[in-house]
Amino acid sequence: MSSVTLVNSLTGLLILTSLLVIEIKRPRWSALMYSLQSIVLVSIFAILAYVTGTNQLYLWAASAFLTKVVLVPWILYTALKRVGDPEKPRNVMGTTFSFLLAAVAVTVSFIVVNQIALKAAEPFKPALAISMAHFFFGELCILTQRNLFKQILGFCLMENGSHLTLALLAFNAPELVEIGIATDAVFGVIIMVVLGQQIYKNLGTLDTADLTTLKG
Amino acid sequence: MTNSMALSWLLLIPLVLSLVAFASRWFRSATRFAAEAAHLLSVTLVLAFSLWAVREVLLLGSIFELSNWLHLDSLGAVFLLIIGVVGFLVGIYSIGYTRHDLETGEFDNVRLSTYYGLFNLFLFTMILVITSNNIIMMWAAVEATTLGSAFLVGIYRHPSSLEAAWKYIIICTVGVAFGLYGTVLVYSDAFNVMQIPGNAILWTEIIKNTQALDPTLIKMAFVFVLVGFGTKAGLFPMHAWLPDAHSEAPSPVSAMLSAVLLNCALFVIFRFATISNLVLGVSFAQTLFLIFGTISVAAAAFFMYVQRDIKRLLAYSSMENIGLILLAFGIGGPAGIFAGLLQAVNHSLVKSLMFCTSGNILIKYRSRNLDQVKGMLQVIPFSSVLMMIGALALVGVPPFNIFLSKFFIITTGLGAGYLWLMILCLLCLTVVFAAFFRVIVAALFGAKPDETVKGEANWLTLAPGAVLILLILMLGLYIPSPLMNLLNGASGMMLTGALSHSLALITMKNILSPLARLIP
Repeated sequence: MSSVTLVNSLTGLLILTSLLVIEIKRPRWSALMYSLQSIVLVSIFAILAYVTGTNQLYLWAASAFLTKVVLVPWILYTALKRVGDPEKPRNVMGTTFSFLLAAVAVTVSFIVVNQIALKAAEPFKPALAISMAHFFFGELCILTQRNLFKQILGFCLMENGSHLTLALLAFNAPELVEIGIATDAVFGVIIMVVLGQQIYKNLGTLDTADLTTLKG
Repeated sequence: MTNSMALSWLLLIPLVLSLVAFASRWFRSATRFAAEAAHLLSVTLVLAFSLWAVREVLLLGSIFELSNWLHLDSLGAVFLLIIGVVGFLVGIYSIGYTRHDLETGEFDNVRLSTYYGLFNLFLFTMILVITSNNIIMMWAAVEATTLGSAFLVGIYRHPSSLEAAWKYIIICTVGVAFGLYGTVLVYSDAFNVMQIPGNAILWTEIIKNTQALDPTLIKMAFVFVLVGFGTKAGLFPMHAWLPDAHSEAPSPVSAMLSAVLLNCALFVIFRFATISNLVLGVSFAQTLFLIFGTISVAAAAFFMYVQRDIKRLLAYSSMENIGLILLAFGIGGPAGIFAGLLQAVNHSLVKSLMFCTSGNILIKYRSRNLDQVKGMLQVIPFSSVLMMIGALALVGVPPFNIFLSKFFIITTGLGAGYLWLMILCLLCLTVVFAAFFRVIVAALFGAKPDETVKGEANWLTLAPGAVLILLILMLGLYIPSPLMNLLNGASGMMLTGALSHSLALITMKNILSPLARLIP
């Protein structure tokens, strides 16, 4: 199997892990699934670095390992331990419907990516389509999940999608750019987690259906 | 090009002083003094350095720093001016407002230091948005504005403010992620053409190479950008977070969100619109601006009419004004862009005045609901005058500043042949007028509640409002020539991509000539 095919196939694993993050019952397990997904992402970065001969991507792989495989899942896992990891409330829609929407997202992404005429992205078009679909998976997670922490995980999925798109299209961008984006992502998770904990402490709930004071 | 250091200082000062404000919690009895001093120094220096940077742009056309990663041209200078002036005045108001919160026990010293730390961090992130020439860094800065201000929105930790903060961070982060897609697509396309990563990421370099960019890709990227950063700008239908966050935040923060942050998001859209204009011609971006602008104005007018909460009314009014600015850009041409930018400047001044005054109402009545807020003229007469003038200015009554910009938008629209659109727009503005009239009359007059004690909180909650009124009145009668040059330079730049400001095109005479024709 060539390295390019390997990258494109590994992105398939991203879809699987995403669906696990969205659909698994306990948020704490979802956090672990997210860590698993990030391992796949890190491997893709490493292979891309090897294929394209871009040393910068090895650095991306290393920083993604630290932040996404270790730090973010650990922050989420320990925070969920503190709030007692309540089983997620009923979803806005059923699993079958979520899967159907995910399939639609993948199809749309493939159609959109086919319109893109970029030389650098040509061999990785399937991976690019999946990275875009991933971004929609994250959104799907935020829209369909009522647990605050699952919504944070939705943000993390979106972020993984964006990160992969960046690696495929902008891997040669100055290093500081990647650092800026990664810092934003980690701080994003930390701020959301703190806010989620404050909501739990003050309102006694992690269910967005209970957040209904503001209307009109 | 110049070796000025104004932009670097502009970024360094609020960042360092925000850290000092955060650290002030460990100064024990001196916490309040240290936090206020750091904050005051920060907003004052930001104003001074903003004016310095704007002056350099007026002299040199545009300035670059830090290997061209920072850049300021006429368009940026207009928005930097808003950040500097509003940041300073609202910053002063903050001191009066938080002192009251300390007295009532709503804030303790730790929360006060957090407030000032976050306020200045927020200021830093907005300056970074405006001065960033690196388009991906610009995106990261927009994302950082959300992260910096989310805690400010929820700082009271009331159930409603925490809920607002959550909605704000989730909706804006998702929205802005779309913006990242657009940004990355533009970068990749530019790299494809230029082959030098360090250049393909700089906005000023991209606009020099627009003739070789791929139109399909730029079209797609611009739609992503408009939806993404449009969420942050509060455009309909991505606006859901705006009324909640703007109404639940402490009033000075509401002022910063409405008067400054929304403009920063628009600024990013305009940066990409310049690329789109040069690659695709002006009609693509203009059509989208007309659509989003019109529906935002119409939806906001509807929401405003049913509001009984003063701060939510003001929040929807921001949505209406952002829609109007976009509408003006949709009309296009030098006059349309000039009118839109003038509206942005004018709205930011009036809206900061209104949010600061609504803070004075909250201090007195502990409510924003019109069922409770009555007899303001007896209770807080000075704030009442501020609010009355602010409301008149906001709905576009002469001789205040918004009259001038709204009038110019409508006459430019009519001149460009958008008769029906302008009629629709005027109808919406009439609804807005009615909504404000109802609220102001209800709040100012009537019998005051028995438990409400007469008297203003402190002079620091009034002085910034008085200065704002002077500015509002001045800009209603006369636009100083430096501002005129900046607005003309910015509109020329958006249409042609020329970085140095062009010769003055629009003058006060152009703005007022339709009025002269109406008055015999």
